[in-house]
Amino acid sequence: MNLYKKYIDVELLQKKDGEIVPQFLLWTDGKRYPIDKVISKERRASPVGGCGMRYTCLIQGKRRNLFLEKDRWFIESLRP
Amino acid sequence: MDRVIMHADIDHCYAQIEEMKDPRLRDIPMAVGGDTEKRHGIILAKNDLAKACGIITGESIPEAMKKCPRLKVLHPVYGDYVFYTEMVKDIYRRYSDRVESFGLDEAWVDLSASRRLFGDPVKTAEEIQQTVLLETGLTVSVGLSWNKIFAKLGSDMHKPFGMTVITKENFRDVVWPCRVSDLLYVGKASARRLACLGIHTIGDLAVYPLPLLKAYLGRNGELLHRFANGEEAEPVKASGTHRTVKSVGNSVTMIRDVHDIEALRPIIRVISEAVAARLSEQGLEGSVITVFLRNADLLWMSRQRKLADYTAVSDGIFAEALSLTQQNYDFSVPMRSFGITVSGLRQCASHHQLSLFQDPDAYEKSARIDQAMEMIRGKYGFRAVCRAVTKMDEELTDFDPKGEHMIHPEGYFTGRRMNDESL
Repeated sequence: MNLYKKYIDVELLQKKDGEIVPQFLLWTDGKRYPIDKVISKERRASPVGGCGMRYTCLIQGKRRNLFLEKDRWFIESLRP
Repeated sequence: MDRVIMHADIDHCYAQIEEMKDPRLRDIPMAVGGDTEKRHGIILAKNDLAKACGIITGESIPEAMKKCPRLKVLHPVYGDYVFYTEMVKDIYRRYSDRVESFGLDEAWVDLSASRRLFGDPVKTAEEIQQTVLLETGLTVSVGLSWNKIFAKLGSDMHKPFGMTVITKENFRDVVWPCRVSDLLYVGKASARRLACLGIHTIGDLAVYPLPLLKAYLGRNGELLHRFANGEEAEPVKASGTHRTVKSVGNSVTMIRDVHDIEALRPIIRVISEAVAARLSEQGLEGSVITVFLRNADLLWMSRQRKLADYTAVSDGIFAEALSLTQQNYDFSVPMRSFGITVSGLRQCASHHQLSLFQDPDAYEKSARIDQAMEMIRGKYGFRAVCRAVTKMDEELTDFDPKGEHMIHPEGYFTGRRMNDESL
């Protein structure tokens, strides 16, 4: 499966204790996808390039890797 | 119990970080280097494919392009290099409280006390390598030994992603056959002098009679002899310790020799700006100005002056450096290199002592000009703004002493920082 690095807009919740939880993905088509659950959060490098905090998320029943790279977000996308 | 010191080196650092950011770069010959249009732009790092084409770190970009016309040259993004190398060092810091940086890409990690927590140091070092790869996608090569010098030597032996363990049992077989120039602090000049004594390998140096070596090379000879025998005992500095900066300086080797003070004036200007900017970055001001002058015969001298008051502004540094140079150098031999250092440092005072004989606003005004220029440069790059005088000879002044040189700004023993950029 070919994956692509795609920078995206993300809506976040920053909690009182400082923790950041991604809430919604804003896709290029203008749709706003809710992130149902953050399954895990680890420091990782991505095969599509870049590294940072990897949030493995459940979005519409599918696992997706979302990365906080330095100061912006990208997703390992199935489409370029 | 012997110390266990790891030296870790991020393999061809800048190039590898660029590859990590964009893995497609792994499939083409790629190098990180200065401006392509500028003739003094040089290769700072290259990937394996570029290396296979014969590209050498430090050579000029036109030379490199001749060897490999499809070489992709990327502009260095220092902000990223600082960010990602710091991320790697944060991983080292999970294993020891003693992590001492040596430039951006290298660090010593003292694992002596970590043994009780993590067990076998070789396994720990492997774990560190694996963790760095997993979390940052970068490979590091490591050397393990009981002293910093051999640890550093070891990290250079097997690349990339290599590990070399140098023990008291094997160092004669592993280290001694290496060229003496592989040793830290043996540069080209020292290597030549040692070769005159018939010393070509580290082993030659180690067994050379110490009194003779001292007679030829002085204290430096004794030091190198200790290095070669693994007797060096410098501790790895604790994380977070900052050496007290005693002076702030920059120097430049000119793109061509300079024949009179008028031609030197813009260069003094550029270097004064860099020194002033680095002083105010650290909130320092100084009261002693030193100029370093080296002529085309490679003879050098330094002259210094104590000022009546502390300064951190480029106008002040410029004026003093100019007058010191005028008084001490007659240009009978053209000048090759020039440097300015400010010492006698203290933390910036909130108020400045006014002089009865000077315009009281002049200092403030100069400081504000410096600040404004730094802000513009911070946002739009070094070339976004410059003093008109530097336009007199753009080729000669087209260098950024503050920003461009970030490799090994620190000496091994002292807290003095001197940036030297070769053009």
